[in-house]
Amino acid sequence: MSGLRVFSVRIGLASAAFAVVLAAHDRTGFNAQASATSGLTGEQLEYASPVELLYSASGTQLYVLCQESAEVRVLDARTYKEIKRIEVGRVPRGFSLSPRGDRLYVANSWDDTISVIDTHSLEVISTWPVAAEPSSVVEDREGKHLFVANRISNDVAVLDPQTGAEEKRLAAGRGASYITSSPDGGRVYITHVYPNPTPHRTAPQSEITVVDVQRAVVGDRIALPSVAHGFHIAFSADGRLGVAAGLHPRNLVPLAHLDHAGAFTDTLTLFGADVGAPVEIPLDELERYAVRPFGVAITPDKSRIFVTCGGSEEVTVIDVPRLLRYIRSHPGSHSDDLAASANYVISRIPVGHDPRGVLLTRDGTKLLVVNRLDDSISVIDTRTSRLTSTFPLEGPKRISVLRKGEQTFYTARYSFQGQIGCANCHIDSTFDGLQWDLEPDGFGRDIVDNRPIEAVKDTEPFKWNGGNPNLPTECGPRTEKYFWRAENYDDLTLTDLAVYVRSLPPRPNRFRLPGGELTVSQERGKTLFNRSVDKFRNPIPETNRCGYCHSGSKGTNQKSFDVGTKKTTDNSGLLDTPQLTNIAITGPYLHDGSANTLEQIWTVFNPEDKHGRTNDLTKDELNDLIQYLRTR
Amino acid sequence: MRVSFRMLLAAGCCALTSLTCGFATDPSQAGSADIIVTAATSYEPLAALHGGERFPAGSQLLVIHNGAAAPLVRDFAATADASVSFDGKSVLFSAKKNTADPWQIWELNLFDRSVRQVIHSDSDAIRPFYLPGWRLVYARRAGSHFQMYSARLIESKTLDEIEGKGVQPVFPISFLNFSAIPSDVLADGRILFESLYPLGEGNAPELFRVYSDGSGVESYRCDHSTAARWGGRQIRSGDVVFTHGSSLSRFTSRLAAEERVTAPAAEYAGGVTETASGDWLLSARGSRQGKFQLKLWKPGASALRVMLARHTENLVEPVLVAPRERPRRHPSALHDWSYANLLALDARISRDGAMQSTPASVRLEAQDASGRAVSLGTAPVESDGSFFVETPADRAIRFVLLDAKGEVIRMEHGWFWIRRGEQRYCVGCHAGPEHAPENRVPEVLTRSATPVDLTSARGGN
Repeated sequence: MSGLRVFSVRIGLASAAFAVVLAAHDRTGFNAQASATSGLTGEQLEYASPVELLYSASGTQLYVLCQESAEVRVLDARTYKEIKRIEVGRVPRGFSLSPRGDRLYVANSWDDTISVIDTHSLEVISTWPVAAEPSSVVEDREGKHLFVANRISNDVAVLDPQTGAEEKRLAAGRGASYITSSPDGGRVYITHVYPNPTPHRTAPQSEITVVDVQRAVVGDRIALPSVAHGFHIAFSADGRLGVAAGLHPRNLVPLAHLDHAGAFTDTLTLFGADVGAPVEIPLDELERYAVRPFGVAITPDKSRIFVTCGGSEEVTVIDVPRLLRYIRSHPGSHSDDLAASANYVISRIPVGHDPRGVLLTRDGTKLLVVNRLDDSISVIDTRTSRLTSTFPLEGPKRISVLRKGEQTFYTARYSFQGQIGCANCHIDSTFDGLQWDLEPDGFGRDIVDNRPIEAVKDTEPFKWNGGNPNLPTECGPRTEKYFWRAENYDDLTLTDLAVYVRSLPPRPNRFRLPGGELTVSQERGKTLFNRSVDKFRNPIPETNRCGYCHSGSKGTNQKSFDVGTKKTTDNSGLLDTPQLTNIAITGPYLHDGSANTLEQIWTVFNPEDKHGRTNDLTKDELNDLIQYLRTR
Repeated sequence: MRVSFRMLLAAGCCALTSLTCGFATDPSQAGSADIIVTAATSYEPLAALHGGERFPAGSQLLVIHNGAAAPLVRDFAATADASVSFDGKSVLFSAKKNTADPWQIWELNLFDRSVRQVIHSDSDAIRPFYLPGWRLVYARRAGSHFQMYSARLIESKTLDEIEGKGVQPVFPISFLNFSAIPSDVLADGRILFESLYPLGEGNAPELFRVYSDGSGVESYRCDHSTAARWGGRQIRSGDVVFTHGSSLSRFTSRLAAEERVTAPAAEYAGGVTETASGDWLLSARGSRQGKFQLKLWKPGASALRVMLARHTENLVEPVLVAPRERPRRHPSALHDWSYANLLALDARISRDGAMQSTPASVRLEAQDASGRAVSLGTAPVESDGSFFVETPADRAIRFVLLDAKGEVIRMEHGWFWIRRGEQRYCVGCHAGPEHAPENRVPEVLTRSATPVDLTSARGGN
C-alpha cells in the first residue's frame, strides 16, 4: 500500500490547503464537509451486500442472497430476525426456488458453480459446475430443466435438475445475466448486461433471449434496438405484460453536456400481449433521472410497477393502467421524450445505496427492496407508495473506506442533475463494451473504447492518450469537468473512491487451466508473444515484440506507443498501452473499439506490422497467439 | 437561527416605530426563521428588463423577526434585492448610499452586522445572488439595459489556483443588447434569469437558464407565452414557481410546459419562498390599486393569510434568513478559444412542426451594433439534418435554414449566444428541453470532424 500512502498524503496536503480557504469562506464555498468515512484506509470489513431476496415456499422465511459475504441468509419473514447463514460460492449473483420449493439454487458467478440448497435442512447439498460466470438460475415448472444464464460465455446452460449434468447450451446474447420465468412456465426470458456486437459506431443493441422451456431451445429473440444493458424482467400475473429494465446510452453523440439526457436514458422495455410490439419507455424526467433501473416487480392486480434505480437510490413507481393508456394512444417508443414519464410515473421513493432486487409479498401490499451497499432491506407500502421501514442485516455498522468508495462509485448524486455514476459505464465495476465521443478532444475526434477497470491498480497512466497520471486525477478533476459536469466529491470522498477502484480484483480467468498451466496451443502462443525473430529469422526489434509493451503481470509497461492504429479523426497516434487483464472478454478492441475481435487487431488493423510483427503468422499461429492472450 | 443579538436589539427598538408606521403583522404566522423583504411605495417589477427603475420612489429592506419588522441595514438611501447565503450567515443586497448614486452590491454579515461593498460599479448593479464557489452573479447596467456578470466575493491566490488560469475575477455571462436579470440560482448550479426578445421569442419576458460561466443558455421551457413570466424561484421540490401574467405558475421536472398553480385569485409578485413548514411565503394583492402584501399560503388552501401589510408600501421579494442546501458548482469546461463550436444533431426537429422542404444549408446570422441581422455565411446541412459550425462567440447569433435554392425554410424566432470556448450540441432547432438526442453519429461528423468556419464576416462557404 505504499503507493496508496503517497497518494493519500498528497490528497491530505491538498485538503489542508483547501481548509484554510474553506474555514474563511464557507458561506459560498466548495464542500467543506468531510465525508462520512470513519474507517481506516485498508480496513476490510465483511459486509453482506445483499442483491436479491425470495420468500420460502411457505412464506415464513425470507432468503437474502448476499454477494460480498457469499452466503444466503435465512430470515424470519415476519420479524426479519436471522435464522441461519448458508455459505455458497464466490460472488453469488442470482438465485431461485425450485417449483416445489424444496431447493434453492444459487448462481455463484466467480466460482462458475450452482449451489443447491435443501430448504428443509438449509444445507448446501450439491455444488454443480457450469460455464463462465453464472448469474442467475431458474428451474422449469415440471422439473425437467434447470436454466443458467452465463454472463461471460454468453449462453444459457440447460442442466438436469436432478444431477446437475449439463445437457446443452443455448446461444444467448452478450453478457447473459438475468433469467425470469413466464407466469405460465412455458418460457424463460434472459436479459444481458453487455451489448451485442454491432458495426463500429452504430447504435448498441441487446436482446431478450426467449427459451421455449418444453423443448429447451431458443424460441425467440426480442430485439432491444437501443438498449446496451439489460437487467431484471418481471411479468404481470396474467402473463400479458413483460417489463425489462435497461440502460439506453447516447454514446454516439458527443458527450458535451448532460442536459436533456445527454449520456443515458433509463428505460423500461414493455412487451407482451398488452402492448403488442415491444415499446421502450423512459423513466427519466426533464431534470430528474431514475438512474440504472435494475429490479422490477408488478403487483398481482397489475396496478403498479416498482423499479429499483441503483444510481438515484430510489424506487420508481408506475401506474400500469395509465401506462397502458399512454402507450396505446402514443404508439412507438418514447425513449427520447423526457416528458413522457409524467404520464405514468407516479412516485419516486428514496431508499438506500444501490438498491437491487425487489420482492412483493404474496398479497402485493408490501414491497421489499435490498440496499446492496447499506446491508439493509427497505419495506414499502405498495398502496401508499411510502417507505414504512428499513431494517439492517447483521454485520458491521461502521462504513469502511472501501465501502464508502463503493457507494461513491455507484451513486449518481454527484453528476449534473444526478444523471450518471461511475457504474453507468463500468457495469458492476467492469466495462460497458461501448465507445464514447468525449467532448474535450473535439466532436467526432478521438473516439475511445471504454477500458475495463478490473485490476486497474498499477496500470497508470489513464485515458488512451495517457493524459491522466493517477486515479485521483482520473476520478477527480477530469470526471468533474467532462463527465459529471458538476462539482465533484470532497477530497476524502475522492480518496475513498480511488481506494475502492484500486482494490478491484480481476474476475477469474476462464481460459487458464487449473494450476495456471497452459495448453499446447497457449504455449505456442506464448512463444509467439515473446519471440525475438520472425518466421524468416529476421530479428524483431525489441520495441516491436508483443512482450515489450505488454510486459509485466498486467500486460502493460505503462508507456505510450504509436502502433499504426491512428484514424483520420484521431488527434494523435500515440496511445497508452492497455493492460491485458481478461482481454478475452472485453471486446471490442483497439483504442476506438474498431476491432471487433482480437484477430482483427492484426488481420485488419496491423498492415505495417507496427502493432507487433504479426503479418508473417499463419491463421493457426494467430489463433495460438489469441489462445495465449486469453489466459492473461 | 444565527441572527445576532445586535439584530434582536435593533428589531426590538424598531417594534414601537413599526406600530406607528402602519405595520400590521401576525407574529403567529412568522415561523421560526427571520424574513427579509423589500418595502417600496412604487414597484415596477419588469422595469429593469427595459433598463428602467423597479423602485422609482425608493425601497428599503426590512427584516422581520418574531413578527416585528425593522430596517435590515441603516445609512443607505435605498436598499433592495436581498439574497441570503447558503449557510444563512450573510446577505447580499443592492443599495444606494445616496439617492443619486447608482445601485451597488453590498454584503451584510449577520453575525457581526458588518457591511462591505462587494461590487464597485460606475453604473447600477442589482439583483445579486450567491453562487457556489465564492462568487456571485448580478446584473449591471450597460446603457439602456442590464447584463449579467459573475464576480468573485473575495480575492485570494488560492482562489486563483482553484479557478484556474485565465478566469477573470469579473466576467460577463450574458451577451445580448437587451437585459438579462438573475432571478435565482438553481439546485443544479445554473442561473435562472429573466429576459426577453431578442433572447427567445415574442415580446413577453421569459425565464431562461445558463451555466455560471455563461455557457449553455436556453429558455427554461419552449411553451412560450404572450404574457410575461418573471420572478421565478426554485422551491425544495425542484419546481420553479413564477408569476405568469399576474398569476402563479410553475415549471416542474415532469412536464415540458408550465403548470398553473391553483392559488387563490390575486395578483402575485413572483419571488415565492418556501418556509420550513412547506407554506409559501409570497407577495400578493387583491387588485392593481392595492399594495402587495406579504402573505402565507399552504399549497392547496383556498385562502392566503396575511403575514405583513403596509398601507403605503409594497412588500415584495421575501427571503428567509436560513441555511439551505448549496447548489453544486458548475466546473467550467470552456476551451481557450476565441470562438465556439456548435453541432446541430438534426435541425429538422422542431416544436414548430414538419418542414415543407428539406434543409440544404444553414445561414448563421449575427446582430450588428444597431441590432440588424447580418449574415456570417452558410454551412451545408446533411441529409440527417446535422451541421457543425465554428461560430463567433459572446454575441447574438441565430440560424436560418435554407433549401437547395437558398430560400428560407425556417429561422430561429430569437437570438442566443454561445461562449468563447464553448462546444455544445443542440438536438434540433427549437426542439424543446424534453427532447433527448437520438443515439446515432450525426452524418456531418462522419464527413468531417472539422466545423465549417463561420467566424469571419465573409462566412464559410
